[in-house]
Amino acid sequence: MEHLIEIHHITKDYGRQRGVFDLSFQVKKGEVLGFLGPNGAGKTTTIRQLLGFIKPDSGSLRISGMDCFQDADKIQNYLGYLPGETAFIDSMNGMEFIQFVAKMKGMKDLGRAQELMSRFDLNPTGKIKKMSKGMKQKIGIVCAFMQDPEILILDEPTSGLDPLMQEQFVNLILQEKKRGKTILMSSHIFEEVEKTCDRAVIIRNGRLVAVENMETLRSNRKKIMEITFQTSEMASAFASKVLNVACEKNTVILNVGMELDEVIKKAAVYTIMDMNVRTQSLEEFFLHFYHHDMPSNEELFCSLRREEK
Amino acid sequence: MIRVILYRREIKANFILFLIFAGVLTMYSVMIVMMFDPKLGDSLRMMSESMPEIFAAFGMADVGTTLLEFVAGYLYGMLFVAFPGVFIIILAGRLVAKYVDNGSMVYLLTVPKKRWSFVLTQAAVLVTYIALMVIYVTGLILITSHILFPDEMEIKEFFNLNIGLFGLLVFFAGVCFFPSCLCNDSKRATGIGAGVIIYSILMQMIAQVGEKFENLRLITPLTLFQIDNFLIGKQEAWVGCGILYVVGILFIVAGIVIFHRRDLPI
Repeated sequence: MEHLIEIHHITKDYGRQRGVFDLSFQVKKGEVLGFLGPNGAGKTTTIRQLLGFIKPDSGSLRISGMDCFQDADKIQNYLGYLPGETAFIDSMNGMEFIQFVAKMKGMKDLGRAQELMSRFDLNPTGKIKKMSKGMKQKIGIVCAFMQDPEILILDEPTSGLDPLMQEQFVNLILQEKKRGKTILMSSHIFEEVEKTCDRAVIIRNGRLVAVENMETLRSNRKKIMEITFQTSEMASAFASKVLNVACEKNTVILNVGMELDEVIKKAAVYTIMDMNVRTQSLEEFFLHFYHHDMPSNEELFCSLRREEK
Repeated sequence: MIRVILYRREIKANFILFLIFAGVLTMYSVMIVMMFDPKLGDSLRMMSESMPEIFAAFGMADVGTTLLEFVAGYLYGMLFVAFPGVFIIILAGRLVAKYVDNGSMVYLLTVPKKRWSFVLTQAAVLVTYIALMVIYVTGLILITSHILFPDEMEIKEFFNLNIGLFGLLVFFAGVCFFPSCLCNDSKRATGIGAGVIIYSILMQMIAQVGEKFENLRLITPLTLFQIDNFLIGKQEAWVGCGILYVVGILFIVAGIVIFHRRDLPI
């Protein structure tokens, strides 16, 4: 299959282990690729190179066969970009800014921009300086999508959006995917990646950790369960029958993957007072799946307790 | 080449700044031309004699007797250098470094145009405003002196003087635009440009105060703007003026080239 975005062995060394090192991956035509990794992993550094803002020390980046630095201007004809940090021209109001960007891109028709604004319930008439983070993010989304580009590069696209708008955004991505668009999207939020992406590239400390199909990631993702039993005897009896547990008085906390059914049936033997289930966050998932220095059960317990407070 | 939409927007966005400085220059220009009135001129001369060092520092020591000499001495020695200097410091910082610093450069560059066309446009905006400022003060002084003192002004020499002033301001533009293209931090960019301009002016002021510091003239670029030679129509004036143009333009071009190639943290 044709690769629209190609990254070959790029290194950009900022010293002190910051930057990206010998990173390679491709995005196929018509694919939605999740670009995942903890903060400071090098996601934005990679994206800046794709946009031609910075040059790699070595290696090459191509979009539609064109060099990302030399031909950045030509690539812009096919590319929509949503930066991770939204910064607009403060003296303009939102609508002026959208029109200004459209004019600079040589767009005549603002129909799609209007459509996107009503989709995200955005009224961009106020001064940008006074807008909330969510409002600014919506303006960024409108600017990235209004040209109806073939390729989209989105850096943390839903940051600042409320859950309803996040869902709206997921729908937009799915719709664009159906229309054959190629999308590279960095994210922290498992749900949005899970719902939209075909594959995910995972990086850490600037290096490639894994390229996985979404299916593999999904099946390896665990739930964190907290069960409170009637007595501490029940709790310890249950704890002895399952793996990955921490027990404190009459409460048991455990990581559950595919063995969910089994665990629930074992717990059902005892009297259950309360139960909480939470899905692993992307960060916890990385820590467990790719780093075998798993936190001990005590640490797990402590972190959960902290979260509750 | 130049990006028309961007050019228009920048001209519009910086017009208020231009108006403020044009207003200040208007006030001084009209005031000084009006003071040419022989009696008021005498009172200025009396002030000058009462504090000769200060007047010398501002280049107003031996202001001549013709309207041209009077205007050149009181305006072109200091006021028309310092005020446009501040304007250039502010504008050059706004045109490039500020956009990199606050990140909005992303939107100015994610268009199907080469990166150099962006900086070239911003340089054009800067030069346009400097030219407008020089044309404005030239016209204003000519009109004011024509109304108040018809036929007193030596028009050819006055034009030459303003071509010289434009050269000095192009030099300032280069000195401020270059760091604006290079720095990621807009405060640093402004600081470098402002530093060079303030240094140049200070050195000239000290050099003018007394013979002891006469040699400081050699280390300030302002010496290349030879007002006296312009007034007497001496050809040497064009040499200094030419150097200022060339150096200014070289700095601007270097800024464009470096900005086109460098890494941008946006």
